[in-house]
Amino acid sequence: MPKFTIDGKEIVVEPGTTILQAAKAHGIRIPYFCWHPKLSIDGSCRMCQVEVEKMPKLQIACNTPVLEGMVVNTQTPKVEDARRAVMELLLINHPLDCPICDQAGECKLQNYCFDYGMRHSRYVEPKRLLSKRVDIGPRVLLDEERCILCRRCVRFCREVSKTGELTVHNRGDHSVIATFPGQKLDNRYSICTCDICPVGALTGKDFRFKVRVWFLKETPSVCTGCANGCNINVAVYKDRIYRYLPRRNDAVNDTWMCDDGRLSYGHVQAEDRIRAARMIEAPGQPAAEVPLDMAVDATAAALRQARDNDGASALAAVASARATNEDLFVFTKFVRGVLGVERSAMVVPAWEPDGFLIQAEKAPNAAGARAMGVGGEDEARAILDRCERGEVNALIVLGADLLLAGEREKVLTALRKVPTIVCLDTHESELSRIAHFVLPACTFAEKDGTMTNVKGRVQRIRPAIRALGDALPEWEILGRLAARMGQPLPSGEPREILKELAGEVPAFARVTPESVGTQGVTLTVVA
Amino acid sequence: MSEAYLTTHFGEKDSAKLDFYLSHRGYESARRAIGSMTPSEVVQLVKDSGLRGRGGAGFSTGLKWSFMPKPGQDDRPRYIACNADESEPGTFKDRAIMERDPHQLIEGLIIAGWAMQAKAAYIYIRGEYVHPARVLEAALREAYDGGYLGPRVMGTDFAFDVYLHRGAGAYICGEETGLMESLEGKKGQPRKKPPFPANYGLWGMPTTVNNVETFCHVVHVVDRGIDWFRGIGTEKSTGTTLFGVSGHVVRPGYFELPLGTTAREIIFEHAGGIANGRQLKGFIPGGSSTKPLPASAVDVRMDHDSLAAAGSALGTAGLIVMDDTTCMVRASKVIAHFYRDESCGQCTQCREGTAWLDKLIGRIEAGAGRMEDLDLLLDVANSIEGVTICALSDAAAWPVQGVLKHWRDEFARHVKEGKCPFPESFEV
Repeated sequence: MPKFTIDGKEIVVEPGTTILQAAKAHGIRIPYFCWHPKLSIDGSCRMCQVEVEKMPKLQIACNTPVLEGMVVNTQTPKVEDARRAVMELLLINHPLDCPICDQAGECKLQNYCFDYGMRHSRYVEPKRLLSKRVDIGPRVLLDEERCILCRRCVRFCREVSKTGELTVHNRGDHSVIATFPGQKLDNRYSICTCDICPVGALTGKDFRFKVRVWFLKETPSVCTGCANGCNINVAVYKDRIYRYLPRRNDAVNDTWMCDDGRLSYGHVQAEDRIRAARMIEAPGQPAAEVPLDMAVDATAAALRQARDNDGASALAAVASARATNEDLFVFTKFVRGVLGVERSAMVVPAWEPDGFLIQAEKAPNAAGARAMGVGGEDEARAILDRCERGEVNALIVLGADLLLAGEREKVLTALRKVPTIVCLDTHESELSRIAHFVLPACTFAEKDGTMTNVKGRVQRIRPAIRALGDALPEWEILGRLAARMGQPLPSGEPREILKELAGEVPAFARVTPESVGTQGVTLTVVA
Repeated sequence: MSEAYLTTHFGEKDSAKLDFYLSHRGYESARRAIGSMTPSEVVQLVKDSGLRGRGGAGFSTGLKWSFMPKPGQDDRPRYIACNADESEPGTFKDRAIMERDPHQLIEGLIIAGWAMQAKAAYIYIRGEYVHPARVLEAALREAYDGGYLGPRVMGTDFAFDVYLHRGAGAYICGEETGLMESLEGKKGQPRKKPPFPANYGLWGMPTTVNNVETFCHVVHVVDRGIDWFRGIGTEKSTGTTLFGVSGHVVRPGYFELPLGTTAREIIFEHAGGIANGRQLKGFIPGGSSTKPLPASAVDVRMDHDSLAAAGSALGTAGLIVMDDTTCMVRASKVIAHFYRDESCGQCTQCREGTAWLDKLIGRIEAGAGRMEDLDLLLDVANSIEGVTICALSDAAAWPVQGVLKHWRDEFARHVKEGKCPFPESFEV
C-alpha cells in the first residue's frame, strides 16, 4: 500500500491508484476534461497536470500511478500556469456562445474559466469555423465548434455501448468528432454521450433549448423503464419534468442509462394521465368523474357487497410490477386481510434485453412483487379464465398490464363479464375505460417508496413533482378503501410501511430506510 | 572520410545485393553474435559501446534494449520495430542506407533480434520511399532465400522474421508509439506513457523501436569491438553518423563523419560552402525541430553535448543551411506550418498551439504583425513545450524559440516595415 504526499497531506492508497483518483478520494480538486471514472484513460486534454517531485516535467494526474514516497503538488505556480495555458488554448477557437448553449451552467469549460480563464483573449487570428448543427444521430446533435476533442464520446461508443460509431476525423486542428461513413450515432445509449460531453458539443435533441439547467431541481430516484432500476436524478422546473440524468451507482448502472428509459420521463406528465376518480353510477351509464372520496366510498361499498354476498371465491386481485414495494405490501395485506383472497397475480411486460443495462422485464418492481408472493402470468391468466367463466364478481387491478396477458380482444371479453372492476392506475387504458371504478394513482415521480430491481436491490424513489390532480399513491388509496370497508390496515408513511414489510417478509429483513440510502440494498436470499 | 564504416560500399555496383554483401564480410557479425555470444552479452556490448540512437533523441541503445523483459521472466513474444519513417524535414540518411546497403540493416535487425530474443522485426518505412521499399523488399527476399531470416537463422535454432510495412504519409507515425498504432492498423496517434513500449508495445507485447541507422552501427560494433567504436567521435557521442546537408550549399548530400565534427567542416569542406557566393546566415543542426543557430555558432561540434550547450540539439543530424537572403520569419513559417499540419490533434496544447504559432508567424510575415506579437509568440511556444503526450509540440516550439532568440530583430523589422524585408528570400 503506497504512501505518498499530496499538497502536504500524507495519504495511503491501494496499489495502482492514480494521482487523480487519490486526490478525488481525499477532496483535493484537480481539474480535468477527458478523464471519466467509467472510461479508459485518454490523457490528452492535459488539464490535470500536477508537479511530482523528482520528475522534471509536469505529469498528468489521470495517468500517473501513485508510487511509494511520491511527493505531489497540485497548486504550484507552474501547475497553475500550465492549466491557464490549456484553458487559453481550448478557448482560442471556442465560439463562446454560452448564452445560447444548453450546457451553460453544467459546462466544465465554463466552470474552469472561473478558476483558470483569462479575462481577455490574446488570440486575434480568425477563429476556426466549423459546423454548428451536425445531425449525428436520431437523438443527438453535434456542434463541432464547441467540441474540445476530449474523445469521451468516442471512448463511450467503443467501450460502453460497444457500437463504435464515433471517431475523430482528420488531424491536428482540423480534427472533428464524426461518425464513420454511412453510420449514425444510433445506439440504445446514445444520449449518454451528451451527459459525458464536458462542453455543449453533444446535446440531446429532446432536451435542447427547453430550459436553462440552473432552474432545474434534481430529485434522486430510479428509472422505472425496466427491471434494471438505473439510478437517476429527476430534473424538474416549475413542477414539470424536463429530463432524467443517470446517477452513479456502480452496482447498478455505473453512470449510464438507456435512451428509452431516459426519454420515458414524458410519460409521467402525459395527456392520458388519470387525474380524477371515475365511476359508473348506474348500469349502462358512462363513467363519470367524481370526487375521490365519493369514489373511494362507492368502491369500498361495492367490494364489501361482493365479498359479503358472493364470498372471497368470487373476488380476484391483480397486482402490478410497476407499484412500489410499499404499495405491493399494502396491496397483499388488503387482498388477503380485507378481501379474503389468498393470492394475487401480475403480468410483467417484457421486451428484448441487451445483456447490458436493458432487462427483459419492462417494469421496475417485478422482483419485489415476487418476493411478496405475487403470482405470475399463469395465475393472471387463470384469473382471466375465471372472469371468462363468469366466476368473478369483483376484480381489483393495479395498473393495466393485465391487458398483456393474452390476445387483447379475448382479455377484454373476459373482463367485460366482471360486474365490478376496480382499477387503480396512472394512465388511461382499455382497462380503465371499462372499469366501474377508476381511482387515480401516482406515478413513481410523485411518491415516496422503494423498488426492487432484477438483482434484488431495493432502491428508493422520491417525489419529484406534486401529484397530478387527485392522484394518490396506491398504498394510500388501498388504506382508505380498507378503512371504509371497516377493516383498517396498519397505515403510515412509506417509511413505516417499509419497516413493517421488513418485519413480515423475510427477504426484506435487512431493508430499512437507512440501509437503502442512496445506493440501495439487496434482498436477503431466502432458501 | 577514413573513419567511415556505414557508407564504405555506397555507390559500388550491386551494393544492395546479397552476393556483394557476403563478399564484404556480410552477415559475419550476426553469425558471431548468434554463434558465440549470449543475448545479454550483445546487449552489454552495445551498452558499453556508448552507441546512442540515431533517430533524434540520442538515447543509449544498449540501455533501451536492456529494458526489454528477459525470456523466462516474461514469456510473451517480443518485437522489434525499425523506424524507417524518416519524416523529419532535412533528414534523408536512412533512405541512403536502405537504397544502397539494405543487408546492413537486415543484419543489424538480426543481431538486435538475437540480443532481445525477439520473434520478429517490423520495418515501418515512410510511404513516399517507394524505391527504398522495393530495394528492401528484394533484399528481404534474398535474406529469406539465403537462410538469413526465417525459422532457422543461418542454420541455428534462432527463428526471426522481418516484415516491411509502408506508412501512409504522416510525420507522427515516426514517433515510436504512433508508429506502433499505425502498424496495428489504427490511426497514427502516440500513446500515453506509461505503459512504455518495452512492456506494452506492438499488440501489447514488449517492443523496442530503433532507427534504421542505429541498427546498422550495431553490426560494426559487434564486428570491430567497443574500443574501436569508442575511438570514433567524442566521449559521449561515439561513432560516426550520416550528416545530411541541405539548403544553400554547393554540394548538398549526406556525409558520414565522426560525431563531434564541427558544423564549419561539414558545411564548408564536405558540402562545399555556401552556394552562389553568398554568406552563411544560420543553420538548423539536426532536422527542422532543432533550434536554428546563427553563423557565429558555426564552429560548434556536432555531437549531443556540444549542441545542447550551444542551445540546440543533434536531432537527426539533418543540417539545413541558410544563406543571407533567407527570411527567418518565412523559414519559421514553413516549419510552423509543417508541424501544424502534422500534429495528430490529441493533446490540447499541440492541436491548438501549433495552429496558433502558424497563424501568428504567418501574420507577421505578411506584414500585419504587432510588436506585442513577438512576446506572445514566445509565450505560446513556451506553453506547448514539454507538456504533451509526445514530442511533436516540442518540435514545433523549439524552432520558434531558437529563431526568436537569435533573430528577434528580424521579426521586429517585419512589424515596423509592415512587410517582409527579404524580397529575395525563397518562395513558399
